[in-house]
Amino acid sequence: MRADFVRIYKSVHTWTGILSGMALFIAFYTGALTVFKEPITRWATAPVQARLVPLEAAQPLILKALAADPQVARGFAVHLEDAEHVIARMEWEVRDPQADDHDETGTRHYGAVLDAKGEVRVQELQPSPLAGFIDVLHRVVGLPADSDPNRWFMGVVAALYTLALVSGVVVLLPSLVKDFFALRVGKNLKRMWLDAHNVVGILSLPFHLVMALTAVVFAYHDQIYDLQDRFLHRGGWGQAFPRPQGEPASVPARDPSAMLTPAQLVQAARAAAPGFEPTLLQYQQVTGPRAVVRVWGKDAAAVSPRAMGGFAAFDPYSGKLLSTDYLPGRQDTPNLFISSFFALHMASFGGAEVLWMYFLLGMAGAWLFYSGNLLWIETRRRRAARKDPALPPQRLDARLMGAATVGVCLGCVCGTSLTIAGGKWLHGAPGDMLAWHQALYYAMFFGCIAWAFWRGAAQAAVHLLWAASLLTLAIPLTTLLAWLAPGTGMWAHASPGTLGVDAVALAGALCFAWMARATARRMASGPQDSVWSGRRAPERLSGSVSLAQRSESR
Amino acid sequence: MRAATAEASRRKPPAVRRDWVSKTLAGTLLGLSLALAPSGLYSEFNAAMPLPVRGQLMMWMVPPIWLGTLSGVYFFGSGLRAWLWLGGANAVAYGALLALRLSA
Repeated sequence: MRADFVRIYKSVHTWTGILSGMALFIAFYTGALTVFKEPITRWATAPVQARLVPLEAAQPLILKALAADPQVARGFAVHLEDAEHVIARMEWEVRDPQADDHDETGTRHYGAVLDAKGEVRVQELQPSPLAGFIDVLHRVVGLPADSDPNRWFMGVVAALYTLALVSGVVVLLPSLVKDFFALRVGKNLKRMWLDAHNVVGILSLPFHLVMALTAVVFAYHDQIYDLQDRFLHRGGWGQAFPRPQGEPASVPARDPSAMLTPAQLVQAARAAAPGFEPTLLQYQQVTGPRAVVRVWGKDAAAVSPRAMGGFAAFDPYSGKLLSTDYLPGRQDTPNLFISSFFALHMASFGGAEVLWMYFLLGMAGAWLFYSGNLLWIETRRRRAARKDPALPPQRLDARLMGAATVGVCLGCVCGTSLTIAGGKWLHGAPGDMLAWHQALYYAMFFGCIAWAFWRGAAQAAVHLLWAASLLTLAIPLTTLLAWLAPGTGMWAHASPGTLGVDAVALAGALCFAWMARATARRMASGPQDSVWSGRRAPERLSGSVSLAQRSESR
Repeated sequence: MRAATAEASRRKPPAVRRDWVSKTLAGTLLGLSLALAPSGLYSEFNAAMPLPVRGQLMMWMVPPIWLGTLSGVYFFGSGLRAWLWLGGANAVAYGALLALRLSA
């Protein structure tokens, strides 16, 4: 390939990488955590005071709840599992009518429980918003709410990301065979980081392409549907999805007591797809003519269309199987194709092994963007002249990029660890739990950025890595404390999933500590003509020549 | 020696013009319109597939084609060439779509 093209695409790769890298770090780091959204939710959910209504009593519970509040018939769910995140056997939500389609922040949750006398009681639930908040950080690259404008911003980042991937391959292609297998560990640090960046990039390229393209779809699907509806479907798209309207009063409401019981529905679902394990029943419009119940569940051996699995749609009165379009293992080819796009993003195929693979790929991806910024900085290093002991002042843009990279990336790490640990500490605190989680995250995030700009990349990197280690260690330590001293009001779940959260956090804390030590070593004894050197006193970032000269002569 | 280099420089292809803004605009705008056309063609050839499913597949194919085009736009020799070639490709794609529709 002509050298000119390589030069051009190197520019494309550098610019798109620099512009999107830090946002992508946040998306990948929180994305890796979101793979384990359910275990994190379970870890952060306080044990329920009242005992869950047993599944056998679910049908009477449903009927009593519907009698108490007929509006609930529009939509409610019945949990089939007994797990820490299930805080009511029957629950429903009331969405904020002003909110965007994907924005859950204004949604209120309600549940039905049976009191000692067997009477139904409706109460507002406070499910832990922690994992949902981390998911929002993932979906809109660190912004606070999953709104349409925020998604459009994320879409721009994802488009830049796609360009960065393709351009990276174009740059690497001519020397692919020669350079790819050479991970040159040695004194030339930039060469080593570049080789590592290339290896991780090429090896995980399919994963990254999937993530980039699916993210663009998540950002702009409505706009693309609009364009296609206007120019291609000529208005037909809107009719394809009849929205369940409020039924006219003239149609007599059906009697919910004629519905099949949850146990019967589960049996019907298992018959429809062997290997499908039901977890949730989602009832819709049960007193209307188009009543439907979606039996949600998982099947590790098949492809699932959503992170929470797939569903079989039944008529709750007759038990007739209405649709297998979203049923893992029973989808027709076109629906399977579409589901696979979602599944490849959400790791909703293959079971636990795939979840762990995605977690590691997510972390490796975050490292890829971090290392890309480091390479950019390294390329702009001003080296000390051979015979001249005085250290040249580093370029302002390199110093700023160093501080920004360290601040944003480690700020995200510290912020998420703090807000996770906070899930236990702040339980029962007055006010909105989501607001607390947001406050903890953003206070730490911006605090780390400020610290990095104040102290400079080199020193701040060490400080923030130690902070990350301690804050991440706080997660299992909090659980340990809760176990030893339940009087604190905190809890320590002992299921494998929740203990896994503590174990991964412990491992993470050790990794950050190791990185902190390595970074401190580099600062002390690495090349001093670099933004990563600890030699210079903290510089003010005015970049004026006189300040630089003064620091040089120290 | 000098004659050889003079000849070599005559045979060298002209330098690629950077034209960053022009190429990027071409790739973004004409790339998007170019991506919509195949989705229309797919719809015509698969009219029997139920619209909810067909429509989703049509939507999914747009970003890869669009961003693939945008990624490749910097291979053009100049911004003008990018606009001309992509404009032409759009004309061919939409021409085919129109022909299909009119003949159906």
